[in-house]
Amino acid sequence: MSLLRLESVTKHYRSDNQDIVALDNVSLAVEAGEFIAVVGRSGCGKSTLLNLSGAMDFPTSGAVHINGVSTTGLADTQLTEIRRRQVGFVFQFFQLLPTLSAIENVELPLLLCGQTSNRRHALEKLRWVEMGELADRLPHQLSGGQMQRVAIARALVHSPKLLLADEPIGNLDSTSADIVIKLLRRTADEWGTAVVMATHSLEAAGITDRIVQLRDGRVEEIGPA
Amino acid sequence: MTAASVLFVRLIVRPLGREPARTALTIFAVALGVAVVVAIHLAGSAATGSFQSSLETLTGDADYEISAVGGLDEKLLAGLQALPHPLQFFPRIEGYAWRAPDRVSVPVFGFDLIGDRSLDGIARTEGFDLDQLTADDSVWAGSALVPETGRQLRLTMNDQTREFSVHGILDVSAENGASRSNIVVMDIGAAQRAFGKEGRLDRIEVFVPAHDDRDWESIITAALPEGVTLSRQGSRSNENRKMLSAFRWNVRVLSYISLIVGAFLIYNTIAISVVRRRNEIGVMRALGAGRNAVTLAFLGEAGCLGAVGTAIGIVLGWLMADGAIDMMAATVRSLYVSSTPGEILFTPGSLLVAAASGVGVSLLAALAPAREAASVAPSEAMARGRHETTARLRIGRYLAYASLLAAGSWGAALLDPVGGMPLFGYLSAVLIIAATALATPAMVNALTRLLSPLLRAIFGAQGILAPRSLSASPARTSVLVAALSTAVAMLVSVGIMVGSYRDTVIVWLDERLRADFYARTAGQREARQYPTMDPAVADRIEALPQVEAVDRFRAYEIRYEGRPSIIGSGQSEVLIRHGRLGFLGGSSSKDVLTALGSGDRVIITETFSNRHGLGPGDTLRLPLGGRMVALEIVGVYYDYSNEGGAVIVDRNTILKYLPDPAPSNLAIYLADGVDPGSARPAIEKAAGSRSVTVADHRTLRTRALEVFDRTFAITYALEVIAIVVAILGMAGALVALVIDRRGEIGVLRFLGASQGQIRGLVLFESGLIGLFANAIGLLLGSLLSLVLIFVVNKQSFGWTIQFHWPAAMLLGALSFIYAAALIAGIYPARVAARLNPIEVVHEE
Repeated sequence: MSLLRLESVTKHYRSDNQDIVALDNVSLAVEAGEFIAVVGRSGCGKSTLLNLSGAMDFPTSGAVHINGVSTTGLADTQLTEIRRRQVGFVFQFFQLLPTLSAIENVELPLLLCGQTSNRRHALEKLRWVEMGELADRLPHQLSGGQMQRVAIARALVHSPKLLLADEPIGNLDSTSADIVIKLLRRTADEWGTAVVMATHSLEAAGITDRIVQLRDGRVEEIGPA
Repeated sequence: MTAASVLFVRLIVRPLGREPARTALTIFAVALGVAVVVAIHLAGSAATGSFQSSLETLTGDADYEISAVGGLDEKLLAGLQALPHPLQFFPRIEGYAWRAPDRVSVPVFGFDLIGDRSLDGIARTEGFDLDQLTADDSVWAGSALVPETGRQLRLTMNDQTREFSVHGILDVSAENGASRSNIVVMDIGAAQRAFGKEGRLDRIEVFVPAHDDRDWESIITAALPEGVTLSRQGSRSNENRKMLSAFRWNVRVLSYISLIVGAFLIYNTIAISVVRRRNEIGVMRALGAGRNAVTLAFLGEAGCLGAVGTAIGIVLGWLMADGAIDMMAATVRSLYVSSTPGEILFTPGSLLVAAASGVGVSLLAALAPAREAASVAPSEAMARGRHETTARLRIGRYLAYASLLAAGSWGAALLDPVGGMPLFGYLSAVLIIAATALATPAMVNALTRLLSPLLRAIFGAQGILAPRSLSASPARTSVLVAALSTAVAMLVSVGIMVGSYRDTVIVWLDERLRADFYARTAGQREARQYPTMDPAVADRIEALPQVEAVDRFRAYEIRYEGRPSIIGSGQSEVLIRHGRLGFLGGSSSKDVLTALGSGDRVIITETFSNRHGLGPGDTLRLPLGGRMVALEIVGVYYDYSNEGGAVIVDRNTILKYLPDPAPSNLAIYLADGVDPGSARPAIEKAAGSRSVTVADHRTLRTRALEVFDRTFAITYALEVIAIVVAILGMAGALVALVIDRRGEIGVLRFLGASQGQIRGLVLFESGLIGLFANAIGLLLGSLLSLVLIFVVNKQSFGWTIQFHWPAAMLLGALSFIYAAALIAGIYPARVAARLNPIEVVHEE
C-alpha cells in the first residue's frame, strides 16, 4: 500500500469570479522512504498538490489517500488528526514563530498534540539537524539555512510518515540549500519517511528518487531523477 | 476630487471598509465615549444648570429680596412701605407641602393675592370675591397637580393634612412653565396660618423704579434692622451654582473616563494601522510622499473614525441624557436643593463639546502614531518586525518617563485646591494614569515572564503562544491592556472610594442614630426642607411613661459667606446622656456638649469647618432674630448628612433669638427595659391627628443608605459604560491582531492545530489581556482611590473618609471584567479559526 496515493485528483478554485483549474486529473503514488521532487513553473499546481497531500484541502474530484485513509469527507478534526500524526510541513520562508526559540518551535507540534514532556525529544531532532547548540536562539538570531534546519526538525519531531516541503531551498544560498537537501534525503533514507518536495531547482531534484513534472495542473512526466 | 483625496480614499478609507467589523467596533467605542460626555453635559445642564430651587420658581422681575434666618417680622413690611421712596415691596411666604397620597413634594407660595402686581400672568384672580381669595382652603395649582379648576387637592403642610379647593390653574405659558406646573399658590394670610408662621414673612421682594440710578441698596439697607439681609435677585441661584459646582465637576470628570479609554483605543487603532502598513508607507515614501502627507493621512484616518463616532455619539448622548437627568436630578433633590430639572437643550456649546470630545480626542490620540509613521525611512519600512523591536527597546525609556509622571502625580496631590476646586487632584489622577500607561509594557513583560512557566505547564501550546504573543508585540497589546486597565482602575478606584465612603457613613449612622425612634412630619423630604411639627406633640411623647427623653431638633436655612448651609438646634443635655457625636481631634463628646449648652456657643460640621476655615476657638457671626450674634465654636464633629455643612447650637440658645418652639425632628429615647414594639403605638397615638411619621433607627439607617446608593448610581453607570467602551475596543483591536498574525495562525494549522485550538488561543490571549488589565487596573485603581478619597473628596466636599477595601464588590467587578474580556475575544477567535491557512501562508 502506497503511503500517499492521489487518484485522478482535480482541484478548481474560484478567483475573481473565474474558475481556475489548479490540478487536473493528477494521479500519483508515493511509497514510504521515497523522496520525490515535484517540479514545474510557478502556478503549475505544485503547492496545491502539496496542500492536498497534506490534508490541508480537499480535491474537487478524485481522492487523496494518506497511509490508506481517504481525506474526502473528513471533518476538520479528523484532517487535523492526520496532520498531527502523519504529516510534516516545511515552507519556503521557514515560518518559524518569531516569538518562540528554536527548541520551542520544534516542540510546538508535540504541544499541539497535547504532549507535555517533550523537551528531550525536540532537542534530539534539533541535534539531528545539527542545531542543538543554537536551541535557545530566537528565529531572528539565526541565518536562513539555520532557520530552515530548525523548520525541518519541527516537521519531523512527531515522526511523520510523510514530509511535504514547499520550495524548501527557494530562499537559501547554495551552501545552505545543499545542507537542507541532504537533510531531506537523510530523512527519507534514515527514517523511512516519504518526502515530497516542490522545487524549481533541477539540481536539487537530481538527488531525489523520482521527479514529477507538472505543467498547467497536469502531470507531464514522471520519471527517475 | 484632488489627487490627495483620491489617495486618501484608496489608501486609508478603503482599508477601513475592508474590515467592517473592526472599523464598526472602533467607531462604536468612540461613539459611546462621546455619548457619555454629551449625555452628562446635557443632563448636567438640565438637572443643575438652572441652579434654581423650586422656591425660586416664582421669582419674578424683582430687583432685590429681603430675608432673615427664621423669617421676617411682618411689621417690617409696613415700615418699608412707609419709606418716602417710589419702591414697591411684596411679601412672600414659602414652604413645601406633600401631596397625599403619593407624598410628592410641592412648593407652596403665599402671596398678597390682591395687592401683588408682580403676580400678573401667573395666577388669574379676577372674578373672585375677597372671601374666596383669602380663604384658608383656597389654592391655585399647577396643571401637573390637578387637571382643572374645582378639584380638591389634599396636602400635608408641616404636620397637618387637609383638603384644599383649587380655584384656578396656574398659567404655565411663561418661561418657567415646566417647573411651575407642580406648584401651589395661596393667599399670604392663609399660607402663614398653614405653615404656622403667623406674624412672619419668609421674604420681601423689592422693585426699584426704572431709570432711577440712586444707590437703592444703601437706602434700603439703612431701613433694615440688624440681622436682616438685602440681596440681589438671583443671588440664591448664584449660591446654588457654587454649591452644585463640585457635584457637576465630579460627574463631568467621571464622564471623561470613557473618553480617555476611547482615546487609548484610537491610539491603538492608528498604531496598528501604522504597523500593518509600514510596507505601504515605505513604498509611498519611495514614490515621493512627504512626511507631512503620511502624518496627515493617518490623522485623517483618526479624524474619519472620530467624526463618524461623534455623529453617532451625539444621537446616543441625546437618548442617554434622559436617563442621566433622572439620576442627577434625584441626587440634586436629595443632597442639594429641591428643584425641578429643566428641558434638555442642545446648544452650539453641546455640539462643541461633542466635536472636541470625539474628533479632537481622536486626532490627539492619533498624533503620536501618525508622527511615528512619518518618521519611518522608506528602506526601514520594508523590514518586518523592526517596529516591534523598537517598541521593545523603548520599554526602559517609557519606564523612566512613568517614574517622572508618578513623581509629578505625587507632587500634584500635595497641592491646595484652586478656587475651591481640586484641580491639582484631577491633575494627579491624570498623571498617575499616564504613568501607568507608560509602565504597562514593562508590567506586561514582567507578568508574562512570571506566569509563563505556570501557563505552559497547565495549558501546553496555548500557554506558551499566548503570553509570548502579548509580550512580543508591546506596541499593540500594551495599549490594549492600558485601555482596559484604565477602565478597570476607574471602576476600582470609584468602587473603593464609594465603598469606603459607604462604610464610613454606616459607622457614622450607627454611632449617630442612638435614639430608639425618630419622628418627623409626613412626606418625602428633599434637601433644604425643614417642615415643623406642633411642639405639643413632642411634649405629649415626652410625657409618656415609656419615654426617657426627647431631643427636639430644629433646623433653619442660613447663608454663610455666600453659601447655603443650616443652623440646627438640639438639646445638649439629652445628647450628653443618650447621644454620641464623634469630634475631630478626639475631643470628649461630653465636654464639648456641656460647653455647647452653656451660652452662645456652637459646634460645626467638618465640611463647614473645611469650607470656611473655621475651628474650635473661632467666632462665628450669624444674623439671628434681628441682630448679629457672635457664637464661639467649641467643637468640630464628623457629619455626612449635608454637603453645605451645619452649625449646631443648643435649643435654649436658638430659642433666645428665634423663639419658635416648633421642632423639625424628634429623637425619642425609651426608658430602660421598655420594649420598642410596645412603645411605638403609644408614641404614634401621642402624635394625635398630626401628620407625623415615626421610624425606628433601623428604618432611618436603611433610608439613608438608599439615598446614598441612589446618589452613586450614576457613578457606577458611567463606570460600566467605560468598561463597555474598553471591551468593544478590545474586540476590535483583537480582530486587528488576528489579521496581523494571520500568517502565524496559518502555520499553526499546518503544524497540526485544530480550529478549536486556534479559537482557544485567541480566547486565551483575550483572557490574558483581561487578567493583566485586572492586575494593573487594581494597582492603578488603588492608587487613584487614594487621590479620590484624600485629595479630590477632601478638597471638593471636605469629608473624612476612612479607607476600606470593598472586597466583595471588587471581586465581583473584576470577575465581570474578566468575563467581558473573554466575551470580547469570541468574535476575533471565530475570525481566526475561519482563516484559510493555505491562503494566509501563501500571502506571507
